[in-house]
Amino acid sequence: MTETVTLHIDGVSYEVPAGMNLVDAARVYAGVEIPVFCYHPKLEPVGMCRMCLVDIGFEMRDRESGELLLNEDGTPQIRWGRKLETACTTTVRAGMHVRTMTEPVQEARKDVLEFLLSSHPLDCPICDKGGECPLQSLTMRHGPATSRMVLEDKMHLAKHVPLGDLIYLDRERCIQCARCIRFQDEIVGDDVLAFHERGRRLQIVTISDPPFDTYFSGNTTDICPVGALTTADFRFGARPWELQDVPSICPHCPVGCNIVASTRLDRDAGGVKVIKRILPRQNEAVNEIWICDKGRFGHHHSLSPDRLAAPLIRKNGELVEASWDEAIQAAAEGLQAAGKNVGVIAGPMLSNEDLWGLRELAEGLGSKRLGLWPASLGDAKPLDEVGVASGTNFAALGKGDAVLVIATDLEEEAPIWYLRVKQAADRGAALIVANTRTTKLDHYAAQTLRFAVGGAADVLNGLTAAAIGQKWIAEDLIESRVSGFGDLQKALKNVSGGDEDAAEVLARAENLVIVAGNDGLDAEGHTALLQAAANFLIVTGHVGRAHNGLLPVWPGANTQGALDLGYESADTRRMLSRTPRALLVAGADIAADPAGAKALQKADFVVCMTLFPDATAEAADVVLPIQSTTERDGTFTNAERRVQRFYTAHGPLGESLSAWEAAALLGQHFGLPAPRYNPALVMKAIAAAVKPYADISFPALTAAEVQMPPIGEAKGFYGGTARPPIGGTGIQLPARSEGRGKLHVKPVDAPGAFEVGEDELLVVPVRRLYDRTPEFASSKLMHDRIPQPFVALNEADAARLGVASGDTVEVSADGAAVTVTAVVDDYAPQGVAFLPLRLSADPFPMIPVTGTVTRVAEALPVGD
Amino acid sequence: MLKDKYPDRIEAIFAKYPDKRSAVMPLLYLAQEEYGYITPEAYREIGEMIGVDPTQVQSIAGFYTMFREEPKGKYWIQVCTDLPCALRGADEFYQALLEELNVEDGGTTEDGLFTVEQVMCLAACDKAPMLQCNFHYHENLDMDIMRELIAEWRAKAQAEADTDDTAEEA
Ligand code: SF4
Ligand code: SF4
Ligand code: FES
Ligand code: FES
Repeated sequence: MTETVTLHIDGVSYEVPAGMNLVDAARVYAGVEIPVFCYHPKLEPVGMCRMCLVDIGFEMRDRESGELLLNEDGTPQIRWGRKLETACTTTVRAGMHVRTMTEPVQEARKDVLEFLLSSHPLDCPICDKGGECPLQSLTMRHGPATSRMVLEDKMHLAKHVPLGDLIYLDRERCIQCARCIRFQDEIVGDDVLAFHERGRRLQIVTISDPPFDTYFSGNTTDICPVGALTTADFRFGARPWELQDVPSICPHCPVGCNIVASTRLDRDAGGVKVIKRILPRQNEAVNEIWICDKGRFGHHHSLSPDRLAAPLIRKNGELVEASWDEAIQAAAEGLQAAGKNVGVIAGPMLSNEDLWGLRELAEGLGSKRLGLWPASLGDAKPLDEVGVASGTNFAALGKGDAVLVIATDLEEEAPIWYLRVKQAADRGAALIVANTRTTKLDHYAAQTLRFAVGGAADVLNGLTAAAIGQKWIAEDLIESRVSGFGDLQKALKNVSGGDEDAAEVLARAENLVIVAGNDGLDAEGHTALLQAAANFLIVTGHVGRAHNGLLPVWPGANTQGALDLGYESADTRRMLSRTPRALLVAGADIAADPAGAKALQKADFVVCMTLFPDATAEAADVVLPIQSTTERDGTFTNAERRVQRFYTAHGPLGESLSAWEAAALLGQHFGLPAPRYNPALVMKAIAAAVKPYADISFPALTAAEVQMPPIGEAKGFYGGTARPPIGGTGIQLPARSEGRGKLHVKPVDAPGAFEVGEDELLVVPVRRLYDRTPEFASSKLMHDRIPQPFVALNEADAARLGVASGDTVEVSADGAAVTVTAVVDDYAPQGVAFLPLRLSADPFPMIPVTGTVTRVAEALPVGD
Repeated sequence: MLKDKYPDRIEAIFAKYPDKRSAVMPLLYLAQEEYGYITPEAYREIGEMIGVDPTQVQSIAGFYTMFREEPKGKYWIQVCTDLPCALRGADEFYQALLEELNVEDGGTTEDGLFTVEQVMCLAACDKAPMLQCNFHYHENLDMDIMRELIAEWRAKAQAEADTDDTAEEA
């Protein structure tokens, strides 16, 4: 328990944690709203705006005896400060008395507001923030009704200043609180915003190159206490009070940020309900009050005109529109013909209910094959045991704790984790980043480790060997609960070269989270990495308790759910090598991988469930339109195994159905019962059949953990426009290590680095946040932010190949080829070509393969 | 590029500070000396030298009145019109000066010789009206003294121009 002190506010006493910020303590414990502008609970206080002035006093004590000095009526005598003080820069202490409603305080508020408004344009009627603007609300509550300002002396400043492609600044509205600057500086670590000039001429500027275009830029528009910062997506789009906030979960990455979709009936969309904007929904355990720009601006896929609106069936070689009845009939006949030889491949954007529906269908068809897409993931079993324990929260990591980030470029693959890991490092947690190349997170690392592509597991084996060798291990735990330690010890006996400094920091940390991706790994390498990480965590005792364990960086929002429900990447690989007669592919564009494309060709019959008419749909015999997250209710399980619920925000596009419903319609032809009435009932079936999900139900998922500080709370908007945890904050499934059972370590047969011959190149696919999958690229405003297809080459290799930066090259491997632009620098190690996935439309292998790079055309001369 | 032209001076500046970024002010002075004002390019050059985002360098230049971000005349006259100076007639003095030189507030004379602007307190309040010209203080001024000064500066500029011409001819 933290120590508490008695704080007196306006004559009432409250017990509050010692050292808490006065603004927060007053709000949380006393329900007293001290007005603020520059203060933000997530940022260091700066005391710049003076809005939070209050009267602060302390109880007086006799100097000799230390006794409280009392008034005649027995109340303590208080020495009040001679001037008002800023509450935001004050932390609470014992014996502190605060007056927030005295005349001087009210006068001060009035004066600060009059001052702030002296050059404010007061264009609330056309301002995006109008209706949820702290300046507006606080002026109504505390401000003067009139101004003594001479109108002619008003400053007039530019109103549409693009700070980047996505954020616009209205200089007249800015009240110079520096929240945006401090967010970029403290939270993101990319100080591209700053003040220029001073006094009334003070302005926000950026001359950085690239300008204000971090993946997190949209958050500044939430925390800006006025309408000075607006997004290209929402500005002038709607008034806040017309919008209905529907809780949802971001479908774009394994973090599972809690969001709301603000919806409205829209004339321009023909009078139907549409999403006008995405805002973060506070969940301190997942995304705090932040989301990345992919989550904020990448929502346009849900109502994109490019989406598939009706089922298609192949007639005379052509895909033509059909009714659901016809399509289901055709699909059922095709699958029937394949007998039991049917395989299901599902993608990571499907909900748990979808996945369950498909699994029931597969079982009804007599098939056991549940493939997970992509095909490159390793065996995830160790995660059941050593996945991060319940209650794990990056925000709790600091001095004495450690984080190992390995085989992932976190900023590109799970942006909010990038932010949170960076902040843990800022608080003093030892961050170790192990990768094949430099990533942005290196900048905050206490130590960086490099390994050759494919060799991630060796790094961890080395660390485990070093930890065992130096006895930095949890002997009691090993003694009592660990099986396989002897074998592991023997296997690691001759392993050397593990980095001892890193091993010591990690092994001896109070808490340790290993964040492991699959960058540059094939399934074998990934399997090895996960097991090697599990070994290290178990041997050093970092499992089974909050803030410890393994956190996988999955490629999709619901990869974890798919794994939990029995889908496996290994099954997909089997299906790709021995194609079943019929394939049912759902939410997975398997044609993007040549192996997938080949399987689509080989199968006699293909049913495709998809949002978009993609290349996989093109190859199918029956195509069924399914729904995105915002069109229906459902759940995702994020990579921390937190099951989270999303809600119907708008009507379905065209005739699309949930994948679970489509699967159930098909199932009826195979003796399965009629579709369930709603997804809640599907979850009920999951809970009954899948043990870890036993306590999960739609009603249970509506429960919200208390959020501290309560930023999303609508009143006053003191922490910005992030929303409160309406709709629930999810339930984290425990890891098996939290029980008492055995923990399993085992020797890892690490495949080692990929071998590349002298004159060969290893083409390594990498994930980028902004890619050209229709789920993202259908958000047109992001187009300029998506990189042109490129390959990163090392200088030495480029010289050998006669390729210069900017040249157009063809990268080919395994019979596949893509034409991209070469980028030559020291980013790629020698012998390696990094090829971002899904930037060009052509299929390309999703695991490292040896290949060639040949110049097609010279770089265009750069015109100045 | 400052880096190429003044490697020694830059090194000497860096030597004075434990941390490269602390050298931002002397480097801004250097840039102003070289280019006549702080050019957008200068922010980038300095940012690169000290490992700070150029936006932050611009922010520092913007905060201080001794850095100018637009071209300026050969003589950069900054008159304090802050309250204590105003009480001793700085405003009237400033207006008279503008008229004398026939420039607008903050503007530069047509011959490019003088830039005149108002600044905040220069810590010589008791000797107002006062100004600084190219960082040299001139105090207890009135327009008579001012006219003399202007004539002096003009003459000096002329003399320099003449020597330049002779140098070129030679
Ligand atoms: S733009 Fe907004 S957040 Fe930034 S300083 Fe101005 S008022 Fe504050
Ligand atoms: S970090 Fe991931 S889950 Fe969060 S908003 Fe971005 S893409 Fe969505
Ligand atoms: S000074 Fe305290 S909120 Fe701004
Ligand atoms: S007010 Fe002019 S020098 Fe101080």
